[in-house]
Amino acid sequence: MAKEFWRWKEYNWQDENLNWRDGKVITGGVDVGSVSSQAVVMVDGELFAFSNMRTGSDSPNSALNAMNWALENTGMTLDHFDFIVGTGYGRVNVPFADKAITEIACHARGGNYMYGPTVRTILDMGGQDCKAILCDERGKVTNFLMNDKCAAGTGRGMEVFADLLGVSIEDVGDLSLDVDEEPPPVSSTCVVFAKSEAAGLLREGWSQSRVLAAYCSAMAHRVFTLLERVGVSPDFAITGGIAKNIGVVSRIERELNLTALKPKHDTQIAGALGAALFGKALVEKGKGRKNKAVA
Amino acid sequence: MFSQFETWYRDRHEYARKWKDRTGGKVFGCFCSYVPEEILVAANILPVRVLGSHEPQDVTEQHLFGMFCPFCRDVLAQGLKGRYEYLDGITLAQACIHLRQAYRAWEENVEHPFSYYLPHPMHVASPHAVPYLKEELKNFRKAVEEHTGVTLTDEDLDRGIRILNENRAAMHDLYELRKGPAPKVSGLEAMWVTVSSTWIDKEEHTAEIRRVLAEIDGRDKDFGEGTRLMFVGSENDDTDFLGMVEMVGATVVVDDHCTGTRYFWNQTPEMDDRIEAIAKRYVERPACPAKDHVVRTRFPHILKLAQEYDVAGVILIQQKFCDPHETDMVPLRSFLEENGFPCLFLEFDVTVPMGQFRIRVEAFLEMLMEEDLF
Repeated sequence: MAKEFWRWKEYNWQDENLNWRDGKVITGGVDVGSVSSQAVVMVDGELFAFSNMRTGSDSPNSALNAMNWALENTGMTLDHFDFIVGTGYGRVNVPFADKAITEIACHARGGNYMYGPTVRTILDMGGQDCKAILCDERGKVTNFLMNDKCAAGTGRGMEVFADLLGVSIEDVGDLSLDVDEEPPPVSSTCVVFAKSEAAGLLREGWSQSRVLAAYCSAMAHRVFTLLERVGVSPDFAITGGIAKNIGVVSRIERELNLTALKPKHDTQIAGALGAALFGKALVEKGKGRKNKAVA
Repeated sequence: MFSQFETWYRDRHEYARKWKDRTGGKVFGCFCSYVPEEILVAANILPVRVLGSHEPQDVTEQHLFGMFCPFCRDVLAQGLKGRYEYLDGITLAQACIHLRQAYRAWEENVEHPFSYYLPHPMHVASPHAVPYLKEELKNFRKAVEEHTGVTLTDEDLDRGIRILNENRAAMHDLYELRKGPAPKVSGLEAMWVTVSSTWIDKEEHTAEIRRVLAEIDGRDKDFGEGTRLMFVGSENDDTDFLGMVEMVGATVVVDDHCTGTRYFWNQTPEMDDRIEAIAKRYVERPACPAKDHVVRTRFPHILKLAQEYDVAGVILIQQKFCDPHETDMVPLRSFLEENGFPCLFLEFDVTVPMGQFRIRVEAFLEMLMEEDLF
């Protein structure tokens, strides 16, 4: 089988030093996105476990698979949770969730946790859309803007380019910076047009790095205009899969003349993390499950 | 309780055909809410506002410039597809160039016995606007008289004015019920009422509103739980979108649409010169942004509605490429936000991406409320 260059790392993580059975409040967040799904488990507001995997065609299954993977070998089951929040495109299809909250609110809250209370602008670069979110010191959304109508500037677009160029998606960022001079950006309005344009550039003899630089630059410019419309105030941070691509991040930073905060966690889990934190707030307001299993 | 309005909303063409059979009267299609319906009703003509059907179509490309709005496209498609074949006449009151092009293309490609382009003042704040429109309305009246063979008397015009005013008053009374903390009317129900009023026989429509108003105190449900929102934009008859907004936790309590409040907000005054009274009414009504310059009356009017109906936020609905509204959107948004009303801007096409819009609407509602989450 041909190598799938777009395939990013799917994995799970657990904090082995944290004994969840000692915890009082256990909450979960499940972010079923258009491309990836994450489940996060928090114990008393501390990150205990998470998983990050590709979304399947069936949202309820993706949600369950992600949660099962996060909980793998921990002894914890769905019955041990005080509250679970679903978010992302598939938020209403998380069968075991107690509430659905949009990924816009969740990314703001998760970003606040990941980057600290000084963050005011969060750019969520997701699988198939992109959101510029302004928030207050609690991580509450004060304004937001989503890209319209097309997938330019999103993770799916980057996957298409990784495949076209035969470069592993994790290497795209570094490679795109390996150019002597920044090339002009490719079409920034449509992934399909950008792809045809890139194929033409390759035929003209452009190197992989140069083509990737042209694409990362177009993507950065695309989200820059989105950010400009909503108005950026520092501190600034990026969540979602593209936040791991240094080629895009550094170009956005250059356009904004701002440095993005460095994440403490995997940027793809920001939505699920925010969801789990909302779960905790709701439990504290007495809205938790009454029939929770004792650990 | 509102099922009659919903039926009227859904079966507009069937209603008009039956009305013709029943009364033997003529039916005129009205492009734009600036058509002076008083004169048509005085002549026993049923005015029906021509709206789109929110279905993708492929019949208008050759007639309209690519950057004309989806609404004028959708309107023209209805004509070209023969859905208004029962019309005896069409008339456009000038407001925007997009709809005028739709009207002209319709006129050229669809046969109706009567067609009238009514010039309408664009500078409604000018002292010349009423005298100008009065002269134009005289011409329009004459054309209608020639077409019907009936000379309209002052009594006829009084009847036309009364019938329109009674309908407007009834809709005002219905909107009053949306002001309090527990509205007895949902936004969706109100949209069925206001939009259907643009094509149902006004007396019949008024009687149905009065019937509902007489019973509504006994209604055992209200819509007080929803976050109170206002809709602002051009034409909007998209019940699917409004239904979604209310399903995810909002109650739409007021609007500034030409299929909503702008259509019925003000009355035709009592004056000796009936035609002047009608001209005054259309010049002084809440303005379409196409006509709202140099003096801006629209912004303070919208703000007053937002305040009186105590809304938590405003959804700004922009028909893609609608130049008059597009020009207003940026300053209007700043104006409303400066006055404490957060806004969500959405760009509409013939069909809307419901999933994407749902996320934005839900996130907007979460932004306005959801203190529980912190």
